[in-house]
Amino acid sequence: MASNSIKLLTGNSHPDLAKAVAARLGIELTKIMVLQYSNQETSVTIGESVRDEDVFILQSTRPNDINDGLMELLIICNACKTASARRVTAILPNFPYARQDKKDKSRAPITAKLMANMLQTAGCNHIITMDLHASQIQGFFNVPVDNLYAEPNSVKWVRENLMHSTETNSEVNGPRQECVIVSPDAGGAKRATSIADKLDLPFALIHKERSRPNEVSRMTLVGNVEGKVAILVDDMADTCGTLAKAADTLIKHGAKDVVALVTHGILSGRAVEILKGSDLSRLVITNTVPVSEEKIEALRVEEGQKGCRLEFIDIAPVLAEAIRRTHNGESVSYLFNHPVA
Amino acid sequence: MVRNIVVLGGSSHPALTDTICEILGIQQGQALFSKFSVGETRVEIEESVRGKDVYIIQSGGGKVNDHFVELLIAISACKTASAKKVTAVLPLFPYSRQSDIPYNKTGAPLVKASNLSSKLVPDSNGYTFDSIPPTPHPDRGESHGLANGHGHLLHKAASRSQLDDVEQSPTHQARFSHYRDSSAHSSTKSAEYFPGPRRRGDSVTSTNGVPNGVPNGVPNGVTSHDFAAKLDPQENFKPRPGYRQWVAQAGTLVADLLTCAGADHIITMDLHDPQYQGFFDIPVDNLYGRPLLKKYIQQNIPDYKNGVVVSPDAGGAKRATAIADSLGIEFALIHKERRPTKITDRQNATMMLVGDVTGRIAILIDDLADTSNTITRAAKLLKKEGASKVYALVTHGVLSGDAIDRINASALDKVIVTNTVDQQDHRRRCPKLEVLEVGHIFAEAIRRVHYGESISVLFQYD
Repeated sequence: MASNSIKLLTGNSHPDLAKAVAARLGIELTKIMVLQYSNQETSVTIGESVRDEDVFILQSTRPNDINDGLMELLIICNACKTASARRVTAILPNFPYARQDKKDKSRAPITAKLMANMLQTAGCNHIITMDLHASQIQGFFNVPVDNLYAEPNSVKWVRENLMHSTETNSEVNGPRQECVIVSPDAGGAKRATSIADKLDLPFALIHKERSRPNEVSRMTLVGNVEGKVAILVDDMADTCGTLAKAADTLIKHGAKDVVALVTHGILSGRAVEILKGSDLSRLVITNTVPVSEEKIEALRVEEGQKGCRLEFIDIAPVLAEAIRRTHNGESVSYLFNHPVA
Repeated sequence: MVRNIVVLGGSSHPALTDTICEILGIQQGQALFSKFSVGETRVEIEESVRGKDVYIIQSGGGKVNDHFVELLIAISACKTASAKKVTAVLPLFPYSRQSDIPYNKTGAPLVKASNLSSKLVPDSNGYTFDSIPPTPHPDRGESHGLANGHGHLLHKAASRSQLDDVEQSPTHQARFSHYRDSSAHSSTKSAEYFPGPRRRGDSVTSTNGVPNGVPNGVPNGVTSHDFAAKLDPQENFKPRPGYRQWVAQAGTLVADLLTCAGADHIITMDLHDPQYQGFFDIPVDNLYGRPLLKKYIQQNIPDYKNGVVVSPDAGGAKRATAIADSLGIEFALIHKERRPTKITDRQNATMMLVGDVTGRIAILIDDLADTSNTITRAAKLLKKEGASKVYALVTHGVLSGDAIDRINASALDKVIVTNTVDQQDHRRRCPKLEVLEVGHIFAEAIRRVHYGESISVLFQYD
């Protein structure tokens, strides 16, 4: 048997995504047991040989379990490396500590850089991630980093659900809407303009002043949203304070409806409450981060009722395709512009 | 008053940091250790560390991974903030027992599927895995705890007590990668995922009432050691037939991560493996808790001269003899003997005492008590052999899971631990527990390291 096949491993952070990726690749997840001893140390046992294989380890960030997930990932990486894997690729759909990427004040830790060093120390030869908070994080690594984009799939979603411009979907779900892409902060302007360009939509920007982390103070809108469906575009929905305030601002400026299109739906802290009390009609996230059943249940909205509906874009096919291409030595950049579903 | 030094305390053990700072006569460094709402660790160093020697105190108990990542971030923050030297002070070194995997005499890893369970519950593959890997432990790999009575009263009693242990341990976390979900549906899901109605305890009672072999859930390879992270048998894990699992050895990784974060020096106490120091390329000062334990014996155990120092297993014999020799008292050892009836039958081990404790005080010495299985079982045997009192002296009292309840219910008369791990909660729940202060040892070590004085004076405790 020709050796060097794909071995997909995963920790406890996001088993559903791992299963979806494995199913898409037509392989089985490699047998692995990751558990905690009673003293809360992590223990990893790999149940099959990875010698000379191409190992991919998928680990997301489960809210409140981030450090456990990180240690699991590092230990699995290290175990595969010491078990003579040919190559170890870490797949981090949501890069942990991506927001601590600069020394924004004296003596602040650049934890993202520390993560990069730790991953390399553990034996990662390659990183695959998605929508990095700052793409400069790629420079923290001395190994290749493939930063995938959810954008093609998000664009497809907007086309199919709001603009109905595809051949099959035209006028099926109601009339075509007048949309405008809105960036909730200046930092995300690039991401938002890119989507606006692809969809040929106008663009608006909200300027915010942040006093403390996870808190937002004042907001001013630049651009026109009157009578349109405003599509908020961001990379991360954490406590959702930004999104809620932005939606509020947009409705005040005459937007007909507000939809948020976010890659990483972390929804930590009081996110669910904030979303429920907000003017957002839909929050569309990808499945890079696991969302607990309770949160999905809490955000369930019956047909015809008002409230913030949670919708998912499945990005497992994107990750699967990236794995396949990386394994076969094909170009990954195709995925930057084409949706995979 | 020590100058040009910053001592920071992580969130694992603030009381120890306070003690150390008080002895050193300095103010604790201002730093914020908390978490963002996502669960990412947040560290802010609030005072200048430029050109200073920074000591960060973080123990390995409690939420080990959170504390460890917090330490790494703090080290890295100090390094990038131009600290001259960063020393990590780890009273209990995390992952110190995952430095190697145990092997048996034929060279196969001991962490393997239970052949017992496959006999009891025939699986489609004839191969199940219903015990979790105990912490790898090179010295004690051969021991399997008390098990498998062949009509022997003691064995039966012991096995039964083990069974009770299993029943009493709802707190253990066993997490499985393949299907674990945070949702409340996890049990039904796992049932779907692993068809076959198996419940905890089923397989134990299934054979003619006598628990033959290690009861379900008790780690099968190296029960002697304390990591009894028990596992629901439903959560079975089947390695590919013919392949012995690869067990991760987190020890080297942890050492590498500390170096990679920027630590220049490590201070720790009673490392489980002395070899661990060799995993680092930076200096590691391994302090000893022995003098404290010895002093306690001399001052608090009446008539200790007639007592016997007992090592609960062969791996700890060296540690125990060192204390016995320096006190000039006798030594005994608990030995787990194997009398295999078949080559594959590794459960057939008996626990026996080498040495005499009749009518005397037995002093158990170990380096770490986690679920405290080892010391409680040893205490039971010692009482049976006629020991008048049983003391257990342990450097690191992790006491996780149901350790406290087990100690309270055990034959132990007193358990003495040091506060390398925060003991406030343990002490409240366990009347038998006594805690020795290690703050002054670490303070002195920090002072000496800082001034470039010899540390080895601290090792001479006679």
